[in-house]
Order: sequence, then C-alpha cells, then structure tokens
Amino acid sequence: MHGWHGQALHVNLKTQQTRSEQVSPELLQSYLGGRGLGDRLMRETFTLDPFDADMPLIFAVGPLCGTDLPATDQLAIVSRSPLTGTIFSNSTGSRFATRLKQAGYDMLIITGKSDKPVTLQITPDSTVIEEATALWGTTTTETLSTLAAKGSSAVIGPAGEAQVLFASIQFHDGGTAARGGLGAVMGSKRLKAISVDGDIETAVAEPQRLANARDDILRLFNASPALFGELGFKEFGTAALVDLIARRRMAPTANFRETFFPGSFNYSGPALQKEYAPLKNGCHNCPIGCRVTASDGQPLPEYDTISQFGGLLNNDDLPTIIAANNTCTALGLDPVSAAASIATWSELRGSFPEPEDIVPLLHDIAARNGDGEQIAHGARRLAEDSGRPEVAMTVKSLELPACDPRGAYGIALSYCTSTRGGCHQQAGVFAPEILRKPVATDRFSFAGKAKLVKIGENNNAVIESLVACRFAFFGASLEEYGEALAAATGIGHTLSELQQIGERIFLTERCYNQQNGFDRNDDTLPERFFTEAGSHGEEFDIPPLDRVRFYEERDRYYRLRGLDQFGQLNTTEFLGKQP
Amino acid sequence: MIRQVEKYLDKMQRDRIGKPGGMALVASDDTVIGQGNDALQSLGSSLLERLDLTAVALVEPTFPFTDYLVVATPTAETRITPRDTETRTFLHDIPILRSSQLSGEPADRIAELLGQRKGVLVEGVGIIAAGSITVEQAYINASSLFHSLLVMYLLDLLTRTNIPEQELQQLDDFRRNWLKPLVSPETLLPGKDLNDPTTILQEMSRVGRITVELGLVDSFFGNISCRFDNTLYISQTAASLDELEGCIDPVPFDNSSTCGITASSELLAHRLIYEQTGARTLLHGHPRFAVIMSMLCDTPDCPIDDCWRDCPHTRLLGNAPVVAGEVGAGGLARRVAPIIGDSGKAVVYGHGIFAIGRDGFDDALNAMIETEEWCRREYFRRLDMKISNR
Ligand SMILES: [Zn+2]
Repeated sequence: MHGWHGQALHVNLKTQQTRSEQVSPELLQSYLGGRGLGDRLMRETFTLDPFDADMPLIFAVGPLCGTDLPATDQLAIVSRSPLTGTIFSNSTGSRFATRLKQAGYDMLIITGKSDKPVTLQITPDSTVIEEATALWGTTTTETLSTLAAKGSSAVIGPAGEAQVLFASIQFHDGGTAARGGLGAVMGSKRLKAISVDGDIETAVAEPQRLANARDDILRLFNASPALFGELGFKEFGTAALVDLIARRRMAPTANFRETFFPGSFNYSGPALQKEYAPLKNGCHNCPIGCRVTASDGQPLPEYDTISQFGGLLNNDDLPTIIAANNTCTALGLDPVSAAASIATWSELRGSFPEPEDIVPLLHDIAARNGDGEQIAHGARRLAEDSGRPEVAMTVKSLELPACDPRGAYGIALSYCTSTRGGCHQQAGVFAPEILRKPVATDRFSFAGKAKLVKIGENNNAVIESLVACRFAFFGASLEEYGEALAAATGIGHTLSELQQIGERIFLTERCYNQQNGFDRNDDTLPERFFTEAGSHGEEFDIPPLDRVRFYEERDRYYRLRGLDQFGQLNTTEFLGKQP
Repeated sequence: MIRQVEKYLDKMQRDRIGKPGGMALVASDDTVIGQGNDALQSLGSSLLERLDLTAVALVEPTFPFTDYLVVATPTAETRITPRDTETRTFLHDIPILRSSQLSGEPADRIAELLGQRKGVLVEGVGIIAAGSITVEQAYINASSLFHSLLVMYLLDLLTRTNIPEQELQQLDDFRRNWLKPLVSPETLLPGKDLNDPTTILQEMSRVGRITVELGLVDSFFGNISCRFDNTLYISQTAASLDELEGCIDPVPFDNSSTCGITASSELLAHRLIYEQTGARTLLHGHPRFAVIMSMLCDTPDCPIDDCWRDCPHTRLLGNAPVVAGEVGAGGLARRVAPIIGDSGKAVVYGHGIFAIGRDGFDDALNAMIETEEWCRREYFRRLDMKISNR
C-alpha cells in the first residue's frame, strides 16, 4: 500500500489489551485519514459521555505524513469534547505524527480507563502500558523531559488530570491539541503520556510526481506574503497578526466589549522580536516555521494566545502574556479558553485581574481551587451559573478565539456553522477575508459568504484529513495538495471527489451533533454581537451585526448544505449511505 | 452576487479578452446567475452543477489563437505548459480538450479537467476558468490564462515554420486593431508632487488605473508603491491596479509594524529597490511583449535548465536589463535591486517589468511604456523578418 499503512492500533487501558487491526482501503479512500478517519471511527460511540470509559480518544495521521511534502508532519486528535458536547477534532503539527506513522500506524485508538496512572509506549515491535504514578501531578514540561529518550511524546498536565473542561494535550515539540478539552478525556482515562518511535517508511507511489507537487507548493509559499513575506509568519510567527487585526478593529478587548486595544503594540510581532530576539522554529519538515522561541529557548506564544491574554483581559504587559503562555503549556490548559473564561469571570465580577494575578489564577484553574473551580468549567457554564448567560462569548460552549466576528461576516457565520463550536478555522475564511488569499472578499458584506463558508468547510475537512497544516493554504491550495495525494497514494481523486469527501466528513460531524441534541438554536452568536458596536477604525465603523441579514445568510447556508430550514438532516439516512 | 457578475463581465469586455458577445460569467450561490453569451452561459451552468465552485468564466478569444495552440500540440499531449511565470507559479499547466473529445456530454469532460486546474482550454470554445470562492477569482483566472496562452502563442510564432495565410491575416488584424497603441508619455496628465499621504494614495490609484487603461497590464497583475519619509506605501496582495482605493498598505521601513502582512508579494523587491536606488516610486506589471522578449535567449549550448530560477546572466532588452528570479521570496528581489538603478527599468525572466521614478510616477510609467514599446517593436521586427523570409 502506498501513502497509508492501513493499520490502526487499538489500546484498551482497562483490559490492557492492544491489537493492530487493518483499516479497509475503502475507508481510507473515503475518509483519507486524520479528522475524517477519526470521525468515521466514532460512528458507534459518539453519543457516549465524553468521560465514559468506552469513549475513544483517537490520534490519526494521513497519507502525506512521513513524506517530504512540506507542512505534513501533522495529525488530528479526535474525540467527543467534554466542553462542547460536540464531536471534536484538533489538528496540530508535531514530530509525533511522523513517528506514529514510522511506528507503522495510521491511527491510534485508545479506550477504557486505567485503574492507575499509566503511560503508553509504541514502537513497531511493541506496545507497552506502564504504570506512571510517579509522573501523575507533574507538569507537561517535567513529564516530557522524563520521556525525552522515548521518541516523541504527547502528554497531559495537572489540568488534564483534574479534568478541567478545557485541558489540552501537549506534544514534545510545541504542538498542542489545545481546544475542546481532549486533555480531560485523556485524564479521565488516567493516561499521562504516549510515546511513539519507529523507522518504518511511508511508501510513495510516484516519487517524481510528488517532488513536482512539492516544487509547486514551495513556489506558492514564496509568493505568499503571509507565509514567506518579510512581515509574515516565517519572520514573526503568527504574532505578525497582532498589528493587522488591530488595524482591522477585530481585536477582542475586555471580553469583546471593544475591538481595539491601544496597548496591543506592546505585544505585536515587532515588539516580541525586539524584546526576545526570537529564533525561528517550527515543525519538522516545514519551511514556514511559524513557531518562534526566545533566544533563551522558551517558546513564544502564538497570535491567539497573545491577544487573549492581552487585550481580551485588558492587559498590555508582555512578560505576563509570556508567563501565562508558559503556564498554560506546563499545566496543560487551552490558553484561548482559559483566557476567555477568565474574561467572562472578570465581566461577571466587574473588574479584570491585575497582570500579577493572571498566572496564579491559571494555577487555581488547573487545581480547581477557589475561583478556579468555577472557571474550570468554561465561560458558558460559568456565566449560566451566575445567572448571566449573555456574558459568555462562546458558540456551542467553545470560547471564541481572538477574532471579532463584527469585523468579518464570513468569520461570523463560520463561528456558528463550525461543528466544534466557536472556531473559524474549520471554514478557513480568515484567509480571504483578512489575508486576501487566494483572493480578497469584502469583509463587511454577507453576499456570497454562505457559499464561501461551505466550500471552505469542505476543503478544510479534507486538509485536516490529509493531514496538512492549514497555514500551508495561505499559499498553496487543494489543487497542489490533491496532486500530492495522488502522487503519494497512486490513487487520483478529482477535485469534486475531494470536495465530496470533505462534505462527507463535515456532514458526518453535523449528524453526530444533531443526534446529540444540537439544533438551529445552537448555530448562533452571543447577543452582544447583534446589539453592540465595536471600536471604529480610521476610515470605517464596526457596527453590530445585522441580525436579519445574518440569519438570511445562515438559511442560505442550510439550503446549500441540503439541510432543512431548522438546520437538520435525516441523520440515519445520511450516515447509512456513507462507507 | 448579480452585481459581481455584472461588474466582472464588464471588466472582461473592457479587457477585450474575448469576442464581443463571446463571453459569459456564471455564478452560483443557492441559485445560479449568469450573464453574457447564452450558449456559454448554459455550458457554465452545467459545469456549476458538476463542481462546487462559486463561478465560471467562459471566453471565446478575439481570434482563435487558442485553437491554433491546440492544433500545434502533439496529439499525445493532454495539457500545455506556457513558460511564463504566471503559469509556472499559479497555473502549473493548462489542460486541453480537443473538439474530437467533446462528443456526448462535453460538460462532464470539461468539469473533470476544470476540477484539476484553475482553467482549461477547449478547442472551438476557448478559455474556461474557475472561481472557487469568488466571482472575481473566475475573472482573474480567465485573464491569467488569456495572458499565458497569448504569450505562448506569440512566442511560438517566432519558431513556427509555416503560418497559413488566414492566420496571418488574423494576426495582422490583431496587431492593427486589438493591440492598443502605446501613447507617448507626454499625453499623460502630469503627476502631482508626492508630499503627503493623501496625495500619494490618490496618485497611486490614478497611475494604477492608467497602467491598466493603456493595456500595459491586466488589472490584477502588478503592483505599485511610493516611498515617503520612513514609510513605503504599497498596493496590497491580490489587489487590482485599476481599483486601488482602500487597497494600499503603509509599511514602515523599519518594520515596526506588521500591518503590511497583506502587502504585495513583491514587497521585498520594492524595499530593496528603494534602499539601493533612492527612487521615490515603483511600478511593476506584466506587459506581454516584455514577458515574451525576456524569454528569448540565444545563448548557445547553455547548461542552465531552470532559466527562471538559475540564470545568473544579465541580458539587455534595449537599455533594460533582464535578470532571472522567482516571485516573492523566490529570489527576484535580490537580483532586480542592484541592476535597476542605471536605466530605471528592469525585466524579470518570463515575468514582467519593474520601473522606478525619481520624483513622481511619470518617469516610472514612462520607463514601463518605453520598455514594452521596445519589446513590442523588436518582437514584430523579428516576426516580420521571419514571415518575409518564407
Ligand atoms: Zn509580478
């Protein structure tokens, strides 16, 4: 087999049984890998409680992983989110992906709860479950250094152990499955860490064709200002976005009451560069290198983290932002949800924390101490418990990232249609609306946005199943990655076949959510965005979203998706027809 | 969406990339909207039923040079690969469909190919281009294909052994009636002094529009900038030169802000040129005869096989130096900056012209016109010589 290995490793932590099982070529070709294959493997279990012993936690790579194609050292982590209750997939870049593939597997499916804390060690020859009581309670940083000799590792921190609803999974090289609390699912299984290593190569069907696709992709990276431009990610990391988002008046400030934070120049890309003289870093095999580390080796935060611990909390103190990022990493917390939940808590109590109180608060959240206990349930529950649900800036309980929906209407719509809740990544509309790639769209218009979101969602479902880094698509497109897929696997998919795969994956997720009780009322934004204006810019205003136009466009989206006016589809019929 | 369809069909008509009445633009939201030629519209609609695209542009070229390209392609080949940078960077290659392959339901076959690339060439129909997420994108891709195919056709003419009489007549008509005369620079309005940001933004928009109106460039492909104090004002990536209002980024020379992350992909070239020449303004575009002439290299037994990337030589087109180098971070910036100062102009292999101005935009625009004019004259001199030698 080319591209894939066709093997899944099943591990039951309760029975301690492990088995390698073939994945049928039909499933591989219909779901590709990563998010798509992970979703498919959840078909029997997606209604279970996220902390149920039988809830799978899936790590899946794709057919391009292990090749030398840029931005493909990537994997998806799939389960049901305890934070949102939706099916949830995180994709991230880590050498862990390539090593899992080199161990001989396309996916790892973990079920069962161990009685004692354990680690899992996977190589081509063996899968070992080892007691790890000594590691329980340690930070991700400590655990990762203990496991340094064992290949690549994915670990949880104290927050995951305590089942904080937005606990993350951290990878040894800076990758993270940050969102949706999948670290809590791992914690509920008492699985502290997974290490993988191996040397099995990914067979490529047509190496020369793959090399050509690689050249095409690199040429497009060169031509992309956001990637290789002197003000882009390669130079500044994603912190390059701080200034742009400020200028667009889309920087969530003081829990989204404003959209411009004058202090943001304190933590812009250039400010970071001046202060920390960063070294360029990034995923193995990726020429973009969007992750930057300070010259002393400590990782510097990415855009969303910077902005959330900055303007969202009314904080312009850069050292605090860096410290908060390090603390989230060490404790295994999603920085976006952590900061947003603190912002909600702040609005509820009427004041934002002083910079020096932020890090201690994060420790309280991870330990579920004092105020931290309430905040650990996330913004939506926190606000509801306080009788003021409107204060939570969430969609489907997922805290919104650092991109205000009033400043870009496609992003606004995509927050609502995303199957994992308040996230614009699934639709990839950030590129055309903010970065003008591959072409620009009018961010203050709803025209054409339903279609833009739908196409973006389908494409991105493919991207996260290949798995390729979404940043690569600020330069290249599925045209080139589709060609690479054909070269790697020897199986050509036309663009419309790929789009069908994307649609299959996306609608499968929508079916799961619908069966778990989600409906049209969940496809909406917090009231604030329809009633309050954002901060005005030099030549433009940021008015509240036009509710009528917003729902018109959402209805159009439902029609384009083949859903009824309530946003529903016949789930049994749909799932029954899928491979 | 109907407004977008009207706007870009109108642009296609102004660009004259197709016969009058031989173009259509079809877009699909939750309904399908089309404008232009009826037959092409209905073909466009059938394509949108088969592919999840936002729009399709269909263009029957002014004279059937696209058909001549298909005929000249060996029957075993299923795609053609023009050698210009546009193809190399963005299009990769262009699938072709011969009329003999169009029996049955042509939309099936066309859709299959259109799913693989940004546009396809169909014998007897013309150019069909996809807009995956916007209507504008279909327009852009159609004009990109038109540019690459026309450049390829004209370049091939110089090496063709036999040009039939009918084709010669069409060519003559194209030369006399389709190509716009490049006006002498004196007839252009004099520019204003570039002493404040407001004037600079206005002048940039004005000059961008003139560049397109002169037929020097297709609107989408090109960029323009102006240096003022410590700021470089530059058109944004994916901006159209004839619609620059609101699409210009101020970029501080000391990189103290990254707002310019949306600036043109040639930002680095612009910056280096300012740093090394002291110019005030810069204009970059892809005029077709400069692109054609830049690729005519007579070096015998040259060992270089990737001319776009690896050619270390500087050749001359008139007094404009020609260098190699790929788009964006691909190397052209470092090659152009050192050689543009003397003549105020430079041509990049297979790509286009960079032209600078010392005070205003006039001399930058003049330099671009001069270069393109020289290349056009030289091209037809060679073609005429070849034709009369038959
Ligand atoms: Zn150019």
